[in-house]
Amino acid sequence: MDLYADMVRRLCLIHLKNQADSEDVFQTVFLKYVLSFAVFENEEHEKAWFIRVTLNACRDLLRSFFRTRTVPLEELIDLPEQAPPDTRYVLEAVLDLPEKYRDVVYLHYFEGYTAPEIGEILKKNVHTVYSLLERAKKRLREKLGGDENA
Amino acid sequence: MREKLQSALACVRAEEALKAKTLAAVSQKARRRRGRPMAWAAACLTLLAVLGLGGLFFTPVSTISIDVNPSLELRVNRFDRVVGVEGYNEDGRALAQTPRLLFADYAQALSTLLSSAQMQGYMQQGEALSIFVACDDERRGAQMLQKVESCAGSGQNVHCHAGQWEESAAHAAGLTCGKYQAFLELQALDPTVTPEDVQGLTMREIRDRIAEISGKEPQGGHGACGGSGKCAHGGH
Repeated sequence: MDLYADMVRRLCLIHLKNQADSEDVFQTVFLKYVLSFAVFENEEHEKAWFIRVTLNACRDLLRSFFRTRTVPLEELIDLPEQAPPDTRYVLEAVLDLPEKYRDVVYLHYFEGYTAPEIGEILKKNVHTVYSLLERAKKRLREKLGGDENA
Repeated sequence: MREKLQSALACVRAEEALKAKTLAAVSQKARRRRGRPMAWAAACLTLLAVLGLGGLFFTPVSTISIDVNPSLELRVNRFDRVVGVEGYNEDGRALAQTPRLLFADYAQALSTLLSSAQMQGYMQQGEALSIFVACDDERRGAQMLQKVESCAGSGQNVHCHAGQWEESAAHAAGLTCGKYQAFLELQALDPTVTPEDVQGLTMREIRDRIAEISGKEPQGGHGACGGSGKCAHGGH
């Protein structure tokens, strides 16, 4: 669990807005892992499996019957307490992005995946990934500043 | 910007409490779910066993054919229980309605039939009773014949015998296995005889015709098969 817990938590953060939902997704993902008969060729394969399953679990939760008909009490973004104040605005900038940009930003900037690899994981056309990355970069630059190589 | 994003996202970590809670919940749920296939497998095995035993119970392995004028058959399963009763003529169908035949031990069912008022009436009129045990398993057939003989009791008009269980030919001719055996005996002596000719005859009439053509006394009593329990073979 230690190996992928942080990554699952980050993916939960960029999609879900409260701790309770994160807990649900955490349990779903790790339960699927425990019950899964998937054979992983290597660590990268396993990591990609975790990313896909986590994103699907987040989407399923957001699409669920209950959630689509209720308004959560806490709409505020539940940023982790350990985030220093100077990094909070960066996280908020990421979370302000439309949902379709968040995955690619996280996978590219933090996990270091290339556009073709992201396309493979998210089952998206590589050109779509490039275009999402470009637009996300543009939006983030507007908020955070920074050079072209970001 | 890359560095800013990396350092900001690096601050996000799974809290220890969250990990502990998840671990506990996952262990509990996994144990419960892993138990489910075992429970399903056990349920399926039980169902298969029940179906298998049910199949065995309702599958007849031998037939006892009883012919006087009423012609009927008792289908007997491997557990010696009657799982089917079928009448082959009007009297036979009436006799097949006798209560407590189905699922009874075949010896008990036979005793019930033989002690019925209708059957007693025929026997008092001097009709011939033929009981034929059709079974593919020779040893089982012999055992059944022995039991049948003790149920039927002794008498000149009682004829018990056993043979192979080849009922399809007999049933195709609209006869019980026992009557079909008698028909074959008669046909061997008179090739012009057809199953239709014997359908309406009582066993006494068939036996008399056989005796008449062969010039021998009508057969009766037990051990008509030479004591071997085997005298007639259906489907010949």
